[in-house]
Amino acid sequence: MTTHPLLNRRRFLTENASALSGIALAQLLQSESLLGATRLRESAPGKAPVRPDIDSSNPNAPRGAHFDAQARNVLMIFCSGACSPLDTFEYKPDLIKYHGQPMPGGDKLITFQGEQGNLTKSPWEFRPRGQCGKMISDLVPHLGALVDDMCFIHSLTGKTNTHGPGENFMNTGFTLDGFPSAGAWVTYALGSENASLPAYVAIPDPRGNPQSSVNCWGPGFLPAAFQGTDFNAANPVRNINRPKGISPSSDRATRSFLEKLNQHHLKRYPGDTELAARISSYELAARMQLSVPDVSDINSEPAHILKMYGADDAGDSVRDLKAAYAKNCILARRLVEKGVRFVQLFNGAYQTGGEGVSNWDGHKVLHEQYSKHGPVLDQPTAALIKDLKQRGLLENTLVIWCTEFGRMPTFQKGASGRDHNPSGFTAWMAGAGVKAPYTYGATDAFGHKAVENVMTVYDFYATVLHLLGLDHERLSFYHNGIERRLTNVHGHVVRDVLA
Amino acid sequence: MSELSLTRAIFIALLLPLVGAKGEISFIEEVEPIFRAHCYDCHGPDTQKSGLRLDEPSHIIKGGDSGEPVLLPGDAKNSHLVKLVSRENPKEVMPPKGDPLTEAQVQTLRGWIAEGAKMPGVSNLETPKIETDHWSFQPVQRPKTPGSGHPIDAFIDARLEDRGMTRSKEEDRRALIRRLSLIAHGLPPMPEAVEAFVADPREDAYERLVDEVLKSPRYGERWARHWLDVVRYADTNGFETNRERKSAYHFRDYVIRSFNEDTPYNEFIVEQIAGDVVGVDVATGFLVAGPYDIVKSPDINLTLMQRQDELADMVNTTGTAFLGLTMGCARCHNHKFDPILQKDYYSMQAVFAGVNYGERAMMVSKDPEAGRKIANLEEQEAALDKELSKLRGIAAAAKEESSKDEPLRKPVNFTRNEERFAATKAKSVRFTIHASSSGEPCIDEWEVYSPEGKNVAISATPTASGTLPGYPIHKLKHINDGNIGNNFSWISNTAGSGWVQLTFETPKVIERMVWARDRNGGTSDRLATRYVIEASPDGQVWKAIASSEDREPFRGSVDPNTFVAHLNKAQSAQAQALLAKSDRLTKELSDLRNGLKGWVANFTNPPTTHRLYRGEPTQKREPVAPDALTVLGSLGMKMDEPEKQRRLKLAKWIASEDNPLTARVLVNRLWHYTFGTGIVETPSDLGVNGLPPSHPALLDWLAAEFMASGWSIKHMQRLLLTSATFKQSSRPRPDAMKKDADARFLWRYPPRRLEAEAIRDSMLAVSGALDLTEGGPGFYVHHVKVENVMHYFPKEKFGPPEFRRMVYLFKIRQEQDAVFGSFDCPDGNQVIPKRSRSNTPLQALNLFNSDFVLQQAGILSERLREECGTNGRRQIKRAFELFYGRGADAFEIATSLEMIEAEGLQAFCRALYNTSEFLFVF
Repeated sequence: MTTHPLLNRRRFLTENASALSGIALAQLLQSESLLGATRLRESAPGKAPVRPDIDSSNPNAPRGAHFDAQARNVLMIFCSGACSPLDTFEYKPDLIKYHGQPMPGGDKLITFQGEQGNLTKSPWEFRPRGQCGKMISDLVPHLGALVDDMCFIHSLTGKTNTHGPGENFMNTGFTLDGFPSAGAWVTYALGSENASLPAYVAIPDPRGNPQSSVNCWGPGFLPAAFQGTDFNAANPVRNINRPKGISPSSDRATRSFLEKLNQHHLKRYPGDTELAARISSYELAARMQLSVPDVSDINSEPAHILKMYGADDAGDSVRDLKAAYAKNCILARRLVEKGVRFVQLFNGAYQTGGEGVSNWDGHKVLHEQYSKHGPVLDQPTAALIKDLKQRGLLENTLVIWCTEFGRMPTFQKGASGRDHNPSGFTAWMAGAGVKAPYTYGATDAFGHKAVENVMTVYDFYATVLHLLGLDHERLSFYHNGIERRLTNVHGHVVRDVLA
Repeated sequence: MSELSLTRAIFIALLLPLVGAKGEISFIEEVEPIFRAHCYDCHGPDTQKSGLRLDEPSHIIKGGDSGEPVLLPGDAKNSHLVKLVSRENPKEVMPPKGDPLTEAQVQTLRGWIAEGAKMPGVSNLETPKIETDHWSFQPVQRPKTPGSGHPIDAFIDARLEDRGMTRSKEEDRRALIRRLSLIAHGLPPMPEAVEAFVADPREDAYERLVDEVLKSPRYGERWARHWLDVVRYADTNGFETNRERKSAYHFRDYVIRSFNEDTPYNEFIVEQIAGDVVGVDVATGFLVAGPYDIVKSPDINLTLMQRQDELADMVNTTGTAFLGLTMGCARCHNHKFDPILQKDYYSMQAVFAGVNYGERAMMVSKDPEAGRKIANLEEQEAALDKELSKLRGIAAAAKEESSKDEPLRKPVNFTRNEERFAATKAKSVRFTIHASSSGEPCIDEWEVYSPEGKNVAISATPTASGTLPGYPIHKLKHINDGNIGNNFSWISNTAGSGWVQLTFETPKVIERMVWARDRNGGTSDRLATRYVIEASPDGQVWKAIASSEDREPFRGSVDPNTFVAHLNKAQSAQAQALLAKSDRLTKELSDLRNGLKGWVANFTNPPTTHRLYRGEPTQKREPVAPDALTVLGSLGMKMDEPEKQRRLKLAKWIASEDNPLTARVLVNRLWHYTFGTGIVETPSDLGVNGLPPSHPALLDWLAAEFMASGWSIKHMQRLLLTSATFKQSSRPRPDAMKKDADARFLWRYPPRRLEAEAIRDSMLAVSGALDLTEGGPGFYVHHVKVENVMHYFPKEKFGPPEFRRMVYLFKIRQEQDAVFGSFDCPDGNQVIPKRSRSNTPLQALNLFNSDFVLQQAGILSERLREECGTNGRRQIKRAFELFYGRGADAFEIATSLEMIEAEGLQAFCRALYNTSEFLFVF
């Protein structure tokens, strides 16, 4: 890419490059002075923030990590609505043994929707899978086949049992709305390898956005440059296409006319980086206009790939949905392949048509609802991981699968489904830098509370950032008087899960 | 309070051997050695982990950062020290490493505390007064102006001179009026205003212009938007349900009004915190403008935490907006940088402990004109309806013309259904429902119109097959009470069926009816989908006059205003304008009839507030009385201070001239929005972690001047805007660029990109499409799908209703405007004292490719053709005047002519909308 010559004018390094590179960000924001960056650094307790060296003409240009790491990018798969670990990835023999009996100490327990019925085993059988023999349920057999590549965390704990705050917490590290998403943090720190595509892409489920909607990929108080761009295989990036009725040549002529006027005007403001950056943003946009439709062209994939993902499935509403989600999975792979830094793939959308119909929120009729959700998730997601692996992309890609919280080992009183449970739930990782096959942490005998190697969401993200070569205590942004972090003021890197 | 060091204490102890009465545990001989052996490594003279020192009595009393007292004299069991050393909770033990204290040692500490924790030289175990030498906590004193002339320039010049720099020359008038207009109004000046100013020979032409600009209602709209950022205003609840707050806009209008009327800032503060007490109820919308999670659960832990988060939002916003302090940092422990104790946080929380969320009737003095106003509005509404009906008729005819195979009427919908029939004389009318979309059918209001357009239903007597029992909001009387919406509706008592009848006093001639499930659009159930409407001249013989038979079957939610699509351009514009006006009339009428409702604070008797250990709702500590910050004194409120008094007293304390922070914070905000960067670069943090002021003396002078002016914001703005510092050129100078590239010392006026709102408003202003209707309900850029969880879908097409100023946008939390949101528009979830100005390719795509911008380019090209005919040079001249307030130079004329010739006028306009000169303030 061509960078405007003016833009490098004020970029400089010092002997303490990491701490002082905040200046580059200041150029982008025109808001923090040299004085400011230095002072903040001095007054901050503990570790000094590392400010990314941001080029204002291209805020998403690639940047170095804090230290060397194997993972270069992230694929995050998020199941909206709280996917039950007890019916998928977490095998609890005692739940089978004590099926139908009250949970000890559970009689007075009030969870999100109220009182508890009895302990209830999963309607799906668990079987040993892969070389390692990890027990995985029949609801997700394709994913089960990949256990040898996975690192399970069964002891994750959250801070809320409500969906909105839960999805916020799992995606931004805070239960409240308005904080930067993990993807925004990573992009802020590392930029992107591909200048012609958005650095951070969120792929919403075919049924719509997740419950916390755009919060899940929002920039919060980080500059808008680091927000996720949301599109999927069915809905392209907004305003990416040349407007209808305007010919390519007219479009080009208009661009070139605009460039002339802008350059003419810039002569009156020599050295103004913000103006120069504005002009280059149109160059970037023009490139994106070509490359985004290209990367989104799922139909250019060979038939055997479409089949492997299940993108050719059809026939009933579940299979149609599976095919639509499978196309999103293919899109995710294509984006990873092109060097997009952070790809966030959603399975499940906001509540529509009733509780648990459009997502994993199985309160009342879990069997019926999960019988549809399982097949939609399973084959396409498994194919995505296999495909990444066969193309060698898992070497540098960190895959994480998560959901906002878990579900109770009991069925709700008077219902055939499970209530919310943030006290112990499951996530898994695969790919770059991750120990696999491996299982970390455990819940109690029934899967209610995490009891062994309890992991917080802060620990989870401290570890994710570490895998990307980022120190979660030094990746911060000053906002309203606080050096804000993805991990708030908590979090420890869990070294046990590192390869 | 004594600040004795231990050595001095020991010395005194030696002189006064009776410090410990006989048999009592001695601090010196028994307690201090334990601390020395086990604690001083981390909590001694050299290291103070968590800010705690145990080597001096005063520090023991003060405690550490946690805000938890080290000990409670006389209460060993509940003393933190004892809990930690006795290892009560395995997760919190002291010392964390090494040998634990022996049981005997723990016993000694227990005994010592039980006896009152006596320490040598200490007679009073109350927390010592905290002090600070941080600049912003010191009283404001007006410094001497360092020169003659405009005081602001004197301060600025002095600092520039220190650095060997000078201010730039004055900007020319064209550039000046443009800058002034963008800063004060968020709109470019119209060419006529530019020419008038350029030609104004008077010496004080600029000062007069500033006065004029500050008088315009556009000023309040612009500056209210800044304040709305600071108070995290939005029109929905946020979180996953994200329901609409349809009456929140009253607060937004109040803020606009306050700026326009130059409400003294000290009053503005009191009104927002305690408006209910001082007669400005609407202003309390401030307290509840933040996000609110309506998802409640029987799980008590969740509910307690939600309440803590709500109160934190109020405390934090009050702290940052008015005081420039980050109160939120003290929720879990003493503030790490600022002199704010954890106790202070809970004292302020106690002030708001009785504040709750919700819509309610606002206290407004009874309007004696209400009756007349209602009659007047009803007349307007009838006239409007008549015009709309005409257009609907035209649309229906056009539609039939275009698709003769589809003679059926549109299906029923939730928000508006109209029935037209030949004029009929009736004593009674009956609406019989045979099927509903779900449940017992509901009708919010049944209007029956005479040919003159009068709703004759209002005076009729209603009867019905039955009414759903137990709901005051669903009574039969609501069917014709003139009130719309679910809260004033009738619901049948049988699922899927029922009838309702209106009997007039005397027979009436009628020809039209309007009915709906919920005209407010808040619901999507209980819609009558199969029905017949009959009329009877005598109550005996009935004749069907309308029914669902000639409608397309109901399939789901449909926009009732699709008829617009079948009209020609002019008619469609007219219809959209009428519909927008009709919406406003409906709302106004509803407010007049029902009393003005607003999303403002609700008040209840506050429960006792406790300090919470580590901010955990389940870890209650001592009760805390409502109060302000310890470091700045106490308001002396009682634990059971009446709710209103709490807020009023805090508000008055904030708005007092003795408060060192309030005036500084506000003048700094004015500076920030005027010059792009505040004198303090962190406008909501004047604490230790914020940045120091670039011009401390100027900041204090401004603060003093502000208070002396009677807290007049306009007075301050006049000062800022008439300074030579504001008027100077924005052009870069190489010498100064080398020394101060960011122009932090203001050797030039710093150019910068405009905010989202100013860009959108300017686009509309230039095309001439801008609708300057003031106040009232906001316009939507999203379609709303109502379910338990609300869904918002960006509109694809826009028309006149969306061409109002963006401050009137119905602001949906999380969901951004699809075109302008990417310009760092706040989403209303966080207090935003300073917007980022990022620069992304997505912004470029939105401005270059969006329908919105293309549409404006189209409207503008029509305007240019209308005003300038087909003469390219004239079109270019006019366009440049509209966009930049100046003529085009030779290069620009030549390039533009070429462009227009090759690609047409709209393409030319599309490009101008994307130019840097248009998108920036210079």
